[in-house]
Amino acid sequence: MHFITEGFKTAFFLIFTLNREVFEIVIFTLKVSFWGTLLSALFGVPIGFYIGIKEFPGKSIVQTVLNTLMALPTVVVGLTVYAFISRQGPLGEWGLLFTPSAVIIGQWILATPLICALTISATKSVDKKVGATALTLGANAIQESTTILKEARFALFAAIIAGFGRVIAEVGAAMMLGGNIRGYTRTMTTAIALETSKGEFGFGLALGFILMVIALGINLFFTYFQRRK
Amino acid sequence: MIDHLIIDNQYLVLEKIHHYYKQKDVLNIPSLIFDRGKVYALVGPNGAGKTTLLFIIGLLLKPTSGRILYRGKEITEGDSKELRGKITMIFQDPILFNSTVKDNVEYGLKIQKVKSSDRKRKAEKCLEMVGLQGFAERRARELSSGEAQRVAIARALAIHPEILLLDEPTANVDEVNTRILEEIIQGLIKDRETTVIFSTHNHNQAFRLADEMITLMDGKIVPFTPENIFKGKTVQDGEDTWFDTGRIKIYIPVKGEAKAIFIDPRDILISLTPFSSSARNCFAGSIEGVMVNGGWVKIQVDAGEHLRVMITQKSFFEMGLNIGMKVYLTFKSSAVRVF
Repeated sequence: MHFITEGFKTAFFLIFTLNREVFEIVIFTLKVSFWGTLLSALFGVPIGFYIGIKEFPGKSIVQTVLNTLMALPTVVVGLTVYAFISRQGPLGEWGLLFTPSAVIIGQWILATPLICALTISATKSVDKKVGATALTLGANAIQESTTILKEARFALFAAIIAGFGRVIAEVGAAMMLGGNIRGYTRTMTTAIALETSKGEFGFGLALGFILMVIALGINLFFTYFQRRK
Repeated sequence: MIDHLIIDNQYLVLEKIHHYYKQKDVLNIPSLIFDRGKVYALVGPNGAGKTTLLFIIGLLLKPTSGRILYRGKEITEGDSKELRGKITMIFQDPILFNSTVKDNVEYGLKIQKVKSSDRKRKAEKCLEMVGLQGFAERRARELSSGEAQRVAIARALAIHPEILLLDEPTANVDEVNTRILEEIIQGLIKDRETTVIFSTHNHNQAFRLADEMITLMDGKIVPFTPENIFKGKTVQDGEDTWFDTGRIKIYIPVKGEAKAIFIDPRDILISLTPFSSSARNCFAGSIEGVMVNGGWVKIQVDAGEHLRVMITQKSFFEMGLNIGMKVYLTFKSSAVRVF
């Protein structure tokens, strides 16, 4: 019990003294998670939207695959990307392994199926008459799509937030692809894993708190955004 | 070719329109012409094809076969820049976008890249037309169904369409809103610039508002007023074929399957005693309603089914008919049209 209370004390000390290393890790994590989520949204939203509104052969198979990929283990993603970008892999020449870019690639692959699948649900939840109404009021195909996306905006926003939540909280891919290099590719989750294994419980706890505060902040922002509608 | 028919203001022509749904021919329109500035009522029971026809005219549904001509130019394929916003449809349960009433009414104008100040002015004018001045900043999704229907009309009128399609505009609204919506349609009639095509179940409304009535039954245009239309099934008894409505059995002139029949009210004889003739259909019933229409009188008789008969005013008075009286209805099997 003693080490837990000591851990809490250390955690609060590190946070309130604005410990440089802790906040460097936090900023790095936010950066890579932002870019990973942005890339995933850029791919996942249009693809999900297309799948949501179009009928094509094999649509249900695609959806099943996407739903399965939503639960893709992070270490499997790490392993697969590792195979491609390691020195002996087909993209080894690019020198991506153990760089922030590698972490972003892993996060992108992790979050895209989730954002895509949730975008499909968001698009399907919009009444089909929205598109028809837009068309009948003179919209072209792009304006029709924009109108449907606008109607689904809250669900789409939730999809992107869910994607961000997935990447900021994952540890497997970031560890395998980033290598947990201090001051370079260390994320909050990899740092928590490392520091806890070293017995530095307070450091891990401090990062854990911050991670929770970020999650809370995002949820509060989302709630505010929804109420503003 | 039907192009030679496009004269003066006949500017929307449907030619040999067929539409199949699940391999069933749900719409079969050999030819239909709409004039500019007229009001048309599409009348018929549920499943008659009214909404499908409106969707096809509104270019939201491509017919399986056939052509749509607008000002002599084929537009069947739908998406063309010059057509956008000229044919506008308002659905039975119109969708308002999840924003303010003003944003909804201005939607089409934004698409047309109309200046903000002009948009605002036009939106206010259109909201005034539908009696919703002061509603601009209200959330569209918080309106009643009648108000929502009126906003949808204001939104459509804002872009000044040449053809306005309304799918059962008064089906889900209360009496007050029905009256307001009918006044709006009547306002458009006076305007004579917009062709209005609306579907309805309500014959009185169709009579009141429309210049012309188009009656649909099982996807086909029925040439007469849609009275005495009955659904049911055919029953074969030796050489005789009956049509069983579930309440009465009517002799019909053809063998084989039929889903519905129609008897022109003018083809039914009404008498105070059984009428002796070769006509095979004879039913006893009592008069339950009388409506004078010009020189004619329409009589509704409960003879198992509610049958409507049309006779001259002279005959009506000579026979001394009145509500509640027992009468006999007689008509030939050849008077029964089968679908």
